[in-house]
Amino acid sequence: MEESRASLPMRILVAVLFLFLLAPVLLVFPVSFSGDEVLSFPPDSWSLRWYENLLGHDRMLAAFGTSLLLGVVVTALSLAIAIPAAYAIVRLRVRGSEFLFNLFTAPLLLPTIVLGLAILIVFASAGLLATMQGLVAAHLVVTLPYALRILAVSLSNMDLACEEAAATLGGTPFTVFRRVTLPMMRPGIVAATALCFLVSFDEVVITLFLTGPRISTLPVELFHHVENRADPLVASVSVLLILLTLAVVLIVDRSVGLSRTFVK
Amino acid sequence: MGQTTEDGFLQLEGVTKRYGDFEAVRSLNLLVGKGELVAFLGPSGCGKTTTLRMIAGLATPTAGRILVGGRDVTVLPVHQRDMGLVFQSYALFPHMTVERNVAFGLETRKLPRDEIRQRVGRALAMVRLGHLAGRRPRELSGGQQQRVALARALVIEPSILLLDEPLSNLDAKLRDEMRGQIRQIQQELGITTVFVTHDQVEALSMCDRIVVMRGGRVEQVGSPFEIYERPANQFVASFVGRINRLSGSRTGDGAIAVRGQRILGSPEIAAGEVDVMVRPHRIRIEWNGTGRVHQDGTNAVLGRLVRTTFVGDVVQFHIAVGEDELLVEQPTTGRPDLPEPGTPACLNWRIEDTLVFPKEQAR
Amino acid sequence: MTAAALSAPGRTRPGGRRAGLAVALLLPIALVNAVAFLAPVLNLARMSFNEALPGGGIGDAFTFENWIGLLRDPFYVELIVNSIGINLFITLLTLVLSYPIALYLHRTTGRWRSFLTVLVISPLLTSAVVRTYGWIAILSDSGPVAQAIAALGFVPPRLMFNTTGVVIGLTEILMPYMILSLLAGFGRLDPRVEEAARTLGATPFVTFRRVVLPLTLPGIALGCLLCFVLAISSFITPRLMGGGRVFLLATEIYDQAIVTLNWPLAATLSMLVLLIFGAALAAYSRVLKAVE
Repeated sequence: MEESRASLPMRILVAVLFLFLLAPVLLVFPVSFSGDEVLSFPPDSWSLRWYENLLGHDRMLAAFGTSLLLGVVVTALSLAIAIPAAYAIVRLRVRGSEFLFNLFTAPLLLPTIVLGLAILIVFASAGLLATMQGLVAAHLVVTLPYALRILAVSLSNMDLACEEAAATLGGTPFTVFRRVTLPMMRPGIVAATALCFLVSFDEVVITLFLTGPRISTLPVELFHHVENRADPLVASVSVLLILLTLAVVLIVDRSVGLSRTFVK
Repeated sequence: MGQTTEDGFLQLEGVTKRYGDFEAVRSLNLLVGKGELVAFLGPSGCGKTTTLRMIAGLATPTAGRILVGGRDVTVLPVHQRDMGLVFQSYALFPHMTVERNVAFGLETRKLPRDEIRQRVGRALAMVRLGHLAGRRPRELSGGQQQRVALARALVIEPSILLLDEPLSNLDAKLRDEMRGQIRQIQQELGITTVFVTHDQVEALSMCDRIVVMRGGRVEQVGSPFEIYERPANQFVASFVGRINRLSGSRTGDGAIAVRGQRILGSPEIAAGEVDVMVRPHRIRIEWNGTGRVHQDGTNAVLGRLVRTTFVGDVVQFHIAVGEDELLVEQPTTGRPDLPEPGTPACLNWRIEDTLVFPKEQAR
Repeated sequence: MTAAALSAPGRTRPGGRRAGLAVALLLPIALVNAVAFLAPVLNLARMSFNEALPGGGIGDAFTFENWIGLLRDPFYVELIVNSIGINLFITLLTLVLSYPIALYLHRTTGRWRSFLTVLVISPLLTSAVVRTYGWIAILSDSGPVAQAIAALGFVPPRLMFNTTGVVIGLTEILMPYMILSLLAGFGRLDPRVEEAARTLGATPFVTFRRVVLPLTLPGIALGCLLCFVLAISSFITPRLMGGGRVFLLATEIYDQAIVTLNWPLAATLSMLVLLIFGAALAAYSRVLKAVE
């Protein structure tokens, strides 16, 4: 196919727009090395003081720990719940499978502000506010649809013949699942793991409704911090968050190839 | 052990498969003897793969029974049927090496590791792939994958071997090779084998018996010779090998009138409209012949040459007989001179080579 | 003796056992879905018809008071109109800024294209808080934009803690979504069609207007729907960029829920958001049908 070279003005325009698109994420890096008291760019001085500040910031560190733990627990549970569900919907194909699939991915359609409020009201009367269990449940609501989607696609793209072959060779349904289906789902599982973790880790609005002084996550703490004062501390946290995300994405890409897992 | 073909190691009794209103397989009856190689032959959609899958247990019959060695396996789960199935797509486990692939069926049977290693080695040697044991399926060619699939199915020493169009994904040369190899292995092991194909050359060259299927029904069961020489109806006749078709009608005296000419054919067919069929290479041509002088025991029909096609090994003459057109094939002789279109021709063929069938009712 | 009941192609397990297994496998997700999603959302809908008692309590009576009060209150009417208006504007702005990038990406091939696509997606993987904070750093009075304008001799306008800041920040945050939607809808755009138009004498601009634009309409419609819906439900960016001075539906819901503790009103506002969603979806279907 002939490659059409875009005109120079077009390329300049696109470059400018890309700059606009990436500006905030890029800017955060230099700001994190600011030596100033307040947020300003360009900074009057440079230093690592805000990183040091972060290391001694108990609130932030506690929130970071909570976010990590929450992310791990939510991811593990998401997989444990979504894999059987995906199997039931794609392989067992009982009546109403499609309806159930739509129902279980429906939470993605709702704005998090509405979801957050809805969950707040119900959890308040159940005494689940500001508890780890409540946070896990709330996060599951938003991670499960992603996990189910990815795993269902992974399963439906799989050649059924391999599972049938395993059965003819004497594999009971569970053996077939364990030794053939699951390993062949690996790309999907890895992608689902990464996505669930990132979604949970970055989740802010719903979590905002469910946290308090007793328990908080990193994005929520960041939010409150920015709400009250905007100083370069947020930048250093942001840089670490971006690097963490990059690491996760790179790991997924290295192990399974990014585009393959998301394209049906 | 004294088991004959009549005893039927694999028995299908009235096996039917319905999907809603659609009948994929209608009341199929078949007896396959121990050690026999039987082919299900037919066009796509005829129900042959569905039948194979029912034998394997991947589909459940709507009605009927399937028996193996006298034992009813109709509702027995797949993993308990002790059958080896080679898929059209080979279905090798992509995340396992060739060795682990072949070992899978032995591992599910919980055999000791040493025995597994030995048997896998033997199986791979039998298909001449011992040197590739550590490779992954994606590193193998199509032909190699197919042999691994075969080894994997055979290593478990199944009571029945099933093959679903095993050669259709291979190129022509490889197909020829594999045909011979599969047949050889099958006979060496004496394993009862059923295989599905739409390629009549495969069926004719490999099998002890052929089951010709169409629209879910069995059209004919017989040896390759029987299927080819004594087809049960027009469909079988035209599906296996090339054949000509002429419309005709029975005359009162046991003969058949074809485009105003009189020929003889099988006397058992009742009166009425018939299809007369003859194979292209069974016909001799006498150019400018009149048909008045012809030997006993042959039919003679007059026609006119329409066109000639030179195909290297053979030359094809298209002869118009009334409104029908017959194809006559002859080996090429190296002589460059061929008759001109329009040349009258007298076609001769033996009466025994005349196949006569009543005109088919619309199915 | 005859075979079991009809089963779906390829399975041998009799229907009853399969259904039992399916139920067992689907139970966990159904439980989570019911307890943490369905029940809360239904409860929320119901709550919009609950009476808000003075002092933060909630009455059990069924009432339309929340809805009626909302539509009668000029503050809220203005809020709703503002929300829809501003977000429509944001959607349009996002479209205009994203279209060139999407077009360029569509026409590029190979590794450069993969790289650029990753670049487009990457902001999506960072938290909204981080991205909004980045905009605060850029648009604040001591930020690079203000300083640059001042250096040119002009008085820098206020770009933070007002609607302008919200518009800029939200537009940028939504651009990746718009770009991806446009790209998905660009499937029908074949360079050969453009070439054909060009050989027939059309200038690049006319080609764009009469060939490219109509063919990409489905992608445009999808992107606009997605971005409008995301914009209306956006909370973090309006809250932080608006500094509490910009009033939109999402921020109001939060305030009523957490600060004022008027849950029925918050619920009503939430239902309103969902209704706006529905309207947007209906408009989208209408546009799509008109295009076909």
